[in-house]
Amino acid sequence: MFDLEIQIHSWSDHLRAHGNFTEADIHELESHLRDEIEDLVAAGLTPDESFLISVKRLGNLDAVSHEFAKVNTESLWRHLLVEPTDSVAKKGNRRDIALVVVFALLAGTLFKIPEIFFGLGLNDQNAESFYFKNLSLFILPFIAAFFLIKRKSDWRTWLTILGIFALSALIINIYPSFSPHNTQILSGLHLPLFLWLIVGVAYIGRDWLDSKGRMNFIRFTGEAAIYGVLVLAGVIVLGLFTQVIFAAIEIDVSRFLEDYLIVYGGSAAALITVYLVEAKKSVVENFAPVLAKIFSPLFLAVMAAFLTVMLITGKSPFMERDFLIGFDLMLALVLGLVLYVISSRNDHQPANWFDYLNLALIMTALVIDGVALSAILFRLSTFGITPNKLAALGENLVLLGNLGGLAWMYLGYFKGKYDFIKLEKWQTSYLSVYFVWTAIVAFIFPIMFGFY
Amino acid sequence: MNVSKDLIAASATPLILAILKENDSYGYAIIKRVKEMSENELIWTEGMLYPVLHRLEEQLLIESYWNKSDAGRQRKYYRINERGLAELELQKKQWEVVHSALARTWSEESQL
Repeated sequence: MFDLEIQIHSWSDHLRAHGNFTEADIHELESHLRDEIEDLVAAGLTPDESFLISVKRLGNLDAVSHEFAKVNTESLWRHLLVEPTDSVAKKGNRRDIALVVVFALLAGTLFKIPEIFFGLGLNDQNAESFYFKNLSLFILPFIAAFFLIKRKSDWRTWLTILGIFALSALIINIYPSFSPHNTQILSGLHLPLFLWLIVGVAYIGRDWLDSKGRMNFIRFTGEAAIYGVLVLAGVIVLGLFTQVIFAAIEIDVSRFLEDYLIVYGGSAAALITVYLVEAKKSVVENFAPVLAKIFSPLFLAVMAAFLTVMLITGKSPFMERDFLIGFDLMLALVLGLVLYVISSRNDHQPANWFDYLNLALIMTALVIDGVALSAILFRLSTFGITPNKLAALGENLVLLGNLGGLAWMYLGYFKGKYDFIKLEKWQTSYLSVYFVWTAIVAFIFPIMFGFY
Repeated sequence: MNVSKDLIAASATPLILAILKENDSYGYAIIKRVKEMSENELIWTEGMLYPVLHRLEEQLLIESYWNKSDAGRQRKYYRINERGLAELELQKKQWEVVHSALARTWSEESQL
């Protein structure tokens, strides 16, 4: 059967891979191809005939690409900073930059408010827990607002999302906390994840239940993490240089740096990151999948070696709690690697060796997760239930569910039972599980364990 | 008749500007319109049209925006702006100079 959509997609993928085209050019050419096909079909040709003739008429792609190269000579770096695909987008882009500046200033100032009005300085000992649990609330609402404005959301969405932020802020600060503060630390750790998913709703906009939108948000998260680290590194270098050059003329600026550069620089770094990732969306090949492809074979090798040695020596690595947490982080990272390889994949491509590698990675992670789970269950039964152990158990179960589901879908895909889109749909709907779990740990755990 | 490459290139800008002066349009429709107006003598290729459109946009003579077609597909439309209209007037005068000069020499030729 001739599938016109698949043919058009592979044609535009060919352009992406071989030409000097920007993403906007490709959309424009694709729309042109479709116009041509529609006219030919209207004239009585079959879709496959129309496709062949239209592709032929669009001419030798190399020649077209060569013509385009003359116009698109600016390097990719220019696209990185500002990439207006057309003149109207240019105006929108200027508005975005203004938003970033205003929001960064607002977020920075918000940081200063507790200090000015309640004497809770950022570096005071007694304010440590306050900043720890509230940190995400200083920045994420602005990022959410940025997307709400960009997506032109209606007032109901605005109200819901800002309401959730306000409610979270209220709950987290009303809850008391008693020594040893386990539940407080747990909710402080889970709240940012929960709120990040709320930002995701603002990012995706109206179709927040839709799989494509959620996949885009997963991509966005990965890119934002990478860009965030780079921009933050820039802020740190700036701070260090400021300190050093002023020290040379015997002026100590560390106080100023702590009070202003960290606060405003940090807020600005977060918002600039969000803006950059959003602006360059799909213009340059995304970086997270590239990193994931480089590191997934390496992680697989390390984990396989680790499992083998563990089996041979018969030692359990999970007797220490710290190691357990370390392994959970690694499982989350492996899941990330798997996700980014999936996210960059073309739905219509046949299975390639990265898919098999992904499955191997998932399987190894599953085994490690199983060992970790048994260790947690053992500790739970021996030492009784504590918030930390229960949280660890939940985390591992959630990860197990995700990895196991992915493995199952992959096997079905290799057997030809499903197409790849189904796997993506499953993964994106699993995000809801994370949403529910982080909400439980952040808001219900403290009540369950009497705020200890 | 094959119109020479140089002539096609030289006439591209005024033709595009003139078509956009009629109304906003997109690549495929522009090619069709040129074909129609020249009675199938001028057949533009995409490889020639789009780079010219993008160059005109860079020179701020035209603007582009994405809009939905009747079938609901995204399409990149172009519209002419003030500077573009001024440029069109200028080009018109230049072409008239060339045209009238040619017309005169050719009419003298036929009188001989």
